[in-house]
Amino acid sequence: MILDAPQATTHRLDPLSRRAMIGRLGGGLGATGVASALSADQSLSHYGGKARRVIQLFMNGGPYQGDLFDPKPALKKFEGQRPPGATLRTERITAGLLPSIRKFAPRGNSGVVVSDLLPEISRVIDDICVLKGCHSDNPNHNPAMFLMNCGALTSAVPSVGSWVSYGLGSENRNLPSYVVLATGYPVEAPLTWTSAFLPNHHQGTHINHSNLAPEKIIPFLRNARYDRNVQRRQLDLLGQLNRKHLENRGGGDRLASRIQSMETAFRMQFEATDAFNLEQESKQTRDAYGTGKFANGCLLARRVCERGVRYVQLYYDGGQPWDTHNNHNQRMVTLTRNVDRPIASLIADLKQRGLLEDTLVVWGGEFGRTPVSENGNGRDHNHHGFSMWMAGGGVRGGMTYGETDDFGFKAVTDKVHVHDVHATMLHLLGIDHTQLTYRYAGRDFRLTDVYGRVVSEILV
Amino acid sequence: MTPRLLIALLLLLPADGRAADDRATTPGQIPAKQAEFFEREVRPLFVKHCFECHSAKSKPLQGGLRLDTRDDTRKGGESGPVIVPGKPGESLLIDAVRHDGIKMPPNRKLTPREILILERWVSLGAPDPRTGGPSLSAVAPDSPQARAWWAFRPFQASVPRPTDDTWSRNRIDRFVLNLLRKKRLAPSPVADRRTLIRRLSFDLVGLGPTPEEVDAFVADTAPGAYGRLVEQLLASPAYGEHWGRFWLDKARYADALPGFEGSTANPWRYRDWVIRTLNEDAGYDDFVSRQLATDLIKDTGPDDLAALGFFGLSPSYWKELKLDISLVRETVAKELEERVDVFGRTFLGLTLSCSRCHDHKFDPISNRDYYAIGGVLMSSRPVDRPLAGDDVWLPIREAREQVRNLTVSLAKMKEQLPKTPANKKRFKQIEAKIAAIRKSTEFASNTVMVRAVEEASIHVVPDGPARNRIEFRHGKPRDLHIHIRGNPMRKGPLVPRRFLEVLTAGKLKPFQQGSGRLELARAMFTDGHPLVARVIVNRIWEQHFGQGLVRTPSNFGTQGQKPSHPGLLDDLAARFVTHHWSLKWLHREITASATYRQSSRNRPDGQASDPDNRLLWRFTPRRLAIEPWRDAMLQVTGSLDQRIGGAAGNLGDDNYSRRTLYGKIDRKTLSVILKMHDFPDPGAHSARRKPTTTPVQQLFAMNSPFLFKQADRLATVIGIGNGKPLPSHIHDAYRILFQRQPTDDELALGERFLSGTPAADKTQRAARWSQYLHALLASNEFLFVD
Repeated sequence: MILDAPQATTHRLDPLSRRAMIGRLGGGLGATGVASALSADQSLSHYGGKARRVIQLFMNGGPYQGDLFDPKPALKKFEGQRPPGATLRTERITAGLLPSIRKFAPRGNSGVVVSDLLPEISRVIDDICVLKGCHSDNPNHNPAMFLMNCGALTSAVPSVGSWVSYGLGSENRNLPSYVVLATGYPVEAPLTWTSAFLPNHHQGTHINHSNLAPEKIIPFLRNARYDRNVQRRQLDLLGQLNRKHLENRGGGDRLASRIQSMETAFRMQFEATDAFNLEQESKQTRDAYGTGKFANGCLLARRVCERGVRYVQLYYDGGQPWDTHNNHNQRMVTLTRNVDRPIASLIADLKQRGLLEDTLVVWGGEFGRTPVSENGNGRDHNHHGFSMWMAGGGVRGGMTYGETDDFGFKAVTDKVHVHDVHATMLHLLGIDHTQLTYRYAGRDFRLTDVYGRVVSEILV
Repeated sequence: MTPRLLIALLLLLPADGRAADDRATTPGQIPAKQAEFFEREVRPLFVKHCFECHSAKSKPLQGGLRLDTRDDTRKGGESGPVIVPGKPGESLLIDAVRHDGIKMPPNRKLTPREILILERWVSLGAPDPRTGGPSLSAVAPDSPQARAWWAFRPFQASVPRPTDDTWSRNRIDRFVLNLLRKKRLAPSPVADRRTLIRRLSFDLVGLGPTPEEVDAFVADTAPGAYGRLVEQLLASPAYGEHWGRFWLDKARYADALPGFEGSTANPWRYRDWVIRTLNEDAGYDDFVSRQLATDLIKDTGPDDLAALGFFGLSPSYWKELKLDISLVRETVAKELEERVDVFGRTFLGLTLSCSRCHDHKFDPISNRDYYAIGGVLMSSRPVDRPLAGDDVWLPIREAREQVRNLTVSLAKMKEQLPKTPANKKRFKQIEAKIAAIRKSTEFASNTVMVRAVEEASIHVVPDGPARNRIEFRHGKPRDLHIHIRGNPMRKGPLVPRRFLEVLTAGKLKPFQQGSGRLELARAMFTDGHPLVARVIVNRIWEQHFGQGLVRTPSNFGTQGQKPSHPGLLDDLAARFVTHHWSLKWLHREITASATYRQSSRNRPDGQASDPDNRLLWRFTPRRLAIEPWRDAMLQVTGSLDQRIGGAAGNLGDDNYSRRTLYGKIDRKTLSVILKMHDFPDPGAHSARRKPTTTPVQQLFAMNSPFLFKQADRLATVIGIGNGKPLPSHIHDAYRILFQRQPTDDELALGERFLSGTPAADKTQRAARWSQYLHALLASNEFLFVD
């Protein structure tokens, strides 16, 4: 939407002007003394990214890969036993191997194998690339959440969304560039969407979409007293006062940041009301996504992406719902039923609107689950091997990459570490993960620390 | 290796081409870049891949080779030297990691990148900045090396004497000036008196000064005016409220406790105890000891029991007693872990809970240490108890115990027995018995209940084949077995209850008296006092300056940051101890310094060389936390209810006009206003608040009914519509809100905003005024303190 006030016009940046990018990178590179090494051509060569934005679908708690994309017939043969390879350490005490009860079949033209829990996603599987050999570093939720979200096991560093926002800026100044949709706090939130030492406005803006009235989604979104013109006049006054205050103090990041934040908030009132109003969707679309918190989240993700939000993170729910330590089979049915149709519709919808080619969709949890049982009918956390998938934004659909061992416990071939996932995501966005740095506390930080490999095998 | 990876590596490695010159360097003479390279790249590799077999802790030490000190690394092992500086090709270490002949580590090869780092290191001449002994995680907690860690050792400080020093007002300043001069920075000039009184007021009592107070202070040019103001603020009851809230962040205080116990006590009595005790300036040693063990201290009576809320209000979780005993024990072990964590981080600045499953990875804290402290806490059961002596308490406890036992056995019987008429009758009888006990005067006593701890150990035991029971054994403290790898079902050796080894002078002293809570407190303030004092002094400093001298206030271990001014911290901590741990003394000392009185104005030279203001070249302007910001709004509109203490209220109610710290804190669903304004998670110790700036916060400032209400009230206070001229009203507004005159520009802006409505249209004029005052309330000047 186009707003009348001049500050409020929808503003699209160039994909990434070289000057802006070099400006951002300059601090870090200058400090390491190799700024001259970054000749114009080299720097620009990194920016052929196909994706302009990201939707990350976070199955917090850790979904079991062996029920979805990674069937393991050998489990049946060794049911209840702990043969070599089935004794890896995880968070808790586990027992013998527990076969999946799901049925698998090749789907789509590509024939990627998907289980009967995901009939709708099966229909769009030709757009999806399943990474079957993912692995992480820690079987506990908290560090694993930090690693998946921030690239480190602790919270002191910025989240992926914040890095992306920092690297690419916003396409819409009326909305935050990094939106987190979560109907409750996942483990370690809100630190999981922290901007840490990056400037504050790159932090994820958390939106609880469990109630779709816009003012419920964002507290105090609606001004009950003043209309827009009155409020604009008031904010102009406030802006002038604040700028004088800032000048008198010789500047200051936090003062300036609040001035900017105030303007974002003003525009957010109108843009957000609009962006979060699902009533504007046709009945057909709403039916396609289905009902429920996660379905609404998917639809909202598409709506805010359309409006230029750079990074959307959608959590399944608060807490760790995919954490099926008990009653695993039963709970998987409910969990997958709640995501299958909305996700499939999201992909189809993005595709139909021409958005999928420059929107990267990433699906996964903070880790997977064990092929061995816990408590007889549950599965423990498994960071040794699990599946994630990507779609759109320059990723080759209809393929799988990587394998786990015979039991689906540990990634063995074409392994993809969390750092590699991050490196690949940045690459798809046109960012070289080794060069997006920020100097803080005496060193140059980057999302992937000293790790990360772009999984070039899955690129279009 | 891909070219890109190589480039990344080159970025990491020191490439100043001076490798040859550096070969002969001894520790301390290594170029900073190389030292950093070692610390960032090489040392972590050693720790990760080599120390298990090649360090002081290795049992047995493999090949006689230690890599945990510089000298040992140079010396080599049974096969001779492993490094030939400058010559990777001739170095055994490199052969080994390349798996060329000898293979190290034996079962896992390093990544190409890791090997490259080691090769690069050797070719640079193996620069090794390590001095002294092995890293702290690799030495025994009672070794001299462990005890020499800066945070553990006795205070060490010599006060610098900068030449031509006309700036310093007290010893703090000499340390600060000394370091500033080393970095060629000058301190900032002293702030003006209006700024100083605002700063002092918000810092000490969390409220702004009134215009009259500012006028009086600005006019009071007599010597000692500043000191008198500080005394006046420290004597205000609001002091305890403001600093109490700071403490409650550490203690993860909450008013509502979702959990197993179904507490009916009044958590706020602990909050009020904190406020009162801080106002009395009891001494930090006393303040802490009473929170740990006032029930065991002779000269504090039963009316002090609310102090025990520190542990009494610990988070607790649902324990399903029908589950496997391992799960119940794990839940209890998780609760214990949180208690050890809050103890370690709050009082000692140590991450003790990292030692639950193994020795601490970085600090000299053993797995045994964890269970030594854990035993104390597992012998101290959180419980509701009356704010009264044992004569009142014991009969109530007995009655409650009976009810608890009867309820459990009734549940069991209902599960197991068929519902025959005879059995139903039995159930009824038991139910009646429970009801009778509940009605008894002792049980239903009207005595005020507080959440405390009592001397009773906690045990999870089987209760028949399919059930478990949680037993509290009164007066029977327990030592804990180590849980091997943190698993409560795997018993390791028994560890006596005692203080941390690294902080204990001389031999270990197992606790003898009950749970040992009092002995633990005593040990902290005797053997452990340098660390305990440094931690609290740093916290108080942080509250005054926005950042601590140590910027990881709850981690003084090797993973934390070291102090920017080590001598200053030690000197202040030592004097704090001499001054009977008086927090008010500490506030006086800090606020008296020239460092504290500096202007907060930004300076290009300071901004360029020290943007984080670690060196304190100015006073860092501070954004008010939600509590003082909201309180100040209520204060300027004359609506702040200044009563102290009592039950919590609802911050979501726009008419709630008590100080923000009295708003209800619910662990499960935190108030929206608190949550959006960086209030920490009340379920865990908060090291420090992390200020963020978000559009959602600005929506509160722009749109909340609370702000509307304050703007309207302010209009009434100023007397809008009473016939005074417009500029006079604007002057009044600035005076009340900012205690200063508006500038000409500000006056003009205000007049322009407010004019243009027909004089007769009272409604419209009132609306304009409300908008105007609302903007002033929402301004940066009202939110930030210079």
